[in-house]
Formats: sequence, C-alpha cells, structure tokens
Amino acid sequence: MDPRGPASHPSGLEATGRWTRRRKRWVVLAGTLGGVALLSVLLGFGLSRDPTLIRSPLLGRPAPDFSLRALDGTDSIRLSDLRGQVVVINFWASWCAECRVEHPVLAATWDRYREQGVVVLGIAFQDRPSASRAYLSELGGGWPQLSDPGERTALAYGVYGVPETFVVAPDGRVMFKQVGAVNYGALTDEIERLVATT
Amino acid sequence: MRWPTAALAGAVIVAGAALAVVAARGEPSPRTLEGRVHAVASTLRCPVCQNLSVADSPSLLAQQMRSTIAKELQAGRSPDEIRGEFVAGYGEWILLAPPKRGIDLVAWLIPILLMAGGAAWAGLAVVRWTRGSVPAPIASNAATGPGLPPGDRVLLERAIRSVSDEEPE
Repeated sequence: MDPRGPASHPSGLEATGRWTRRRKRWVVLAGTLGGVALLSVLLGFGLSRDPTLIRSPLLGRPAPDFSLRALDGTDSIRLSDLRGQVVVINFWASWCAECRVEHPVLAATWDRYREQGVVVLGIAFQDRPSASRAYLSELGGGWPQLSDPGERTALAYGVYGVPETFVVAPDGRVMFKQVGAVNYGALTDEIERLVATT
Repeated sequence: MRWPTAALAGAVIVAGAALAVVAARGEPSPRTLEGRVHAVASTLRCPVCQNLSVADSPSLLAQQMRSTIAKELQAGRSPDEIRGEFVAGYGEWILLAPPKRGIDLVAWLIPILLMAGGAAWAGLAVVRWTRGSVPAPIASNAATGPGLPPGDRVLLERAIRSVSDEEPE
C-alpha cells in the first residue's frame, strides 16, 4: 500500500482486510480438505491391496542355478544341465497340508508330460529327510526329489513358505510362480505354451 | 529479536545440530562376526513373519538366513552384496527400509520436508508472538514515516486504528 497515493477510505481498508482474512480461511479449509481427501485415497488404495501378494522378481529372469543331492542320497541334479527342457520346481514339506492337496496335480503333470521332456523336481523345505522319505513312500510320485541343506536354494528362489511352484523355460528363465497348492489348469497351460515354443 | 528469544533460538539450533551429527554418524560399525551378521539381518524382513526383522525373528527360516549371511560375510561379501542376493529372490519387499532412489525417495524426503516446514512455521510463530498484538510494521514504518503530509497522516492513523480494532480475535 502506498501511503502517498490517493487517500483510501477507512471502510475500504477494512473491507480489504476482511476479504483477505476470509480468503485465507477458505485457503486453509480447502488445504485441509484436500489433504484429508488425498490421505483417504492413499489409505483406500493401500487397504484394497493384498499385502501378502508380492510379485516375484524372478519372473522373466534367469532361474538361480543349483546342484542338489537327491533325498535318497543317490545322485545330484544340476538345474543348468536341464537347459533346453521345461523344468517344474516344487518346494514342499512333509508337515505341509497344502502340499498333500497339490500332490496329485504334480503326479498327473509328471505322468502327462515326462514323455515330452518336461522335468518335475521336488525340493524338500525345512524338513527332516526321514520325514520327507516317509511322506513320499506314503503318497508316491516318481519324479526326482532333492534335499536343500540350509535352504540355500529356497532362499535364492525367495520362498516364503511351502508349497511354492516355479516353471523354468528351456532358455533357463523363470516363467511362472504359484504360491500355495498349484493349480492344474494354470500349470499345464504354462507347460503347453513353453513346450510349443521348443 | 529480544535476547531470551535469541538464547532460545540458539539452544534449538545447537540441539538440532547435535542431533544431526548423531544421526549422520549412525551406529558404530560392529567388529565381531555376530555383530556384523546382526547389522545385515536387522535390515532384512523375515519372510514368514509379520513385520519382524531377520535379526529379531526366532523362526527357522530366519535362523537359516542368519547363517547364510554369516557364511557370505566370511566369504568376504559386502553387506550390500548380500542384501542384493536376497532382493534378487524376494524383491525389494525383503528390505525393511525403502531404497533411497526413485519413487521410494518420497518416504525419505517427506519427514525431512515436514520437519523443515514445521521448524519454519514455529520460527515465524515465535517472531510473531514476540512482537505483541500491535501491528508493528504499519505503526512503526508508515505512520511515523518522514515526509507524510499532516492530512494524510490523520487519515492513515484512522485507517490503522480501524484495522487494529478488529485485529484481536
């Protein structure tokens, strides 16, 4: 305000002051409401997501290699030796209930695709070898079963718990991951797709 | 600024600087293997727990992660390399603190911005309080300013009075 300018009427000044204060109040109100609205949207977005579903960073990436001894102690299997074949890797344990549920799915997959060069590998997770062997003799299953001392392989694959199933493409990349009992349709769709490209 | 205010401001600045120095130095780097394992494990999330670090979790998987970390440290890997291996398998989810880049930087910057904004607001508030309820800048600068014709001065003082009359709320 220029004090040398034309003398302003007091009431004019008063009105200006009141106007700026009123505007200030509106700005504060709008700012608060806007902030609350933004927080609500973020909170709603966060609450509507399932925090237990985390996309594996391995998808599309080269599968971590491993060389593991079979549960029966006979020989060991190296993943990189299976390059050119579709490999299904299944982490399981004898103490895991969901693993019993999915066992027939793995057996059916093994029976249906082994002729086409598809390999199913079972890897025992946090299990006593004797308990693992008892589980296998009870439920059957002729695909290779491996032991993973210290869970080094499970940690490399980012396993949270069992069962978890991965499908590795012939070029060695992880193309599929399912947490929990594996779904026959989803698993065989992926295998068909990969077998068709080879 | 009156001198108690200056003393207060000085104390706040000294305390803030001391805090900043402590925060910047962080924890002293541990010397024993156990301590180094703990340092790495406390930055990783236990995969089978709800918001527990690998250092704090009693679960079997966390124990195995700790022994993996110990083996890797003994093999000469750096803590960042070991964290990188876990990130490769589990994703950045496994890190308890978000990385300081990309969109995750927001989580690091917002507290700093809020602190700076709060400090600025508090400083302004202190300055305003110490000036009292009289609208000092107008009273001291304009009304007593030199070269103002007497007529204008009367008008101006009346205007100021009308403003300061409704000022206290």
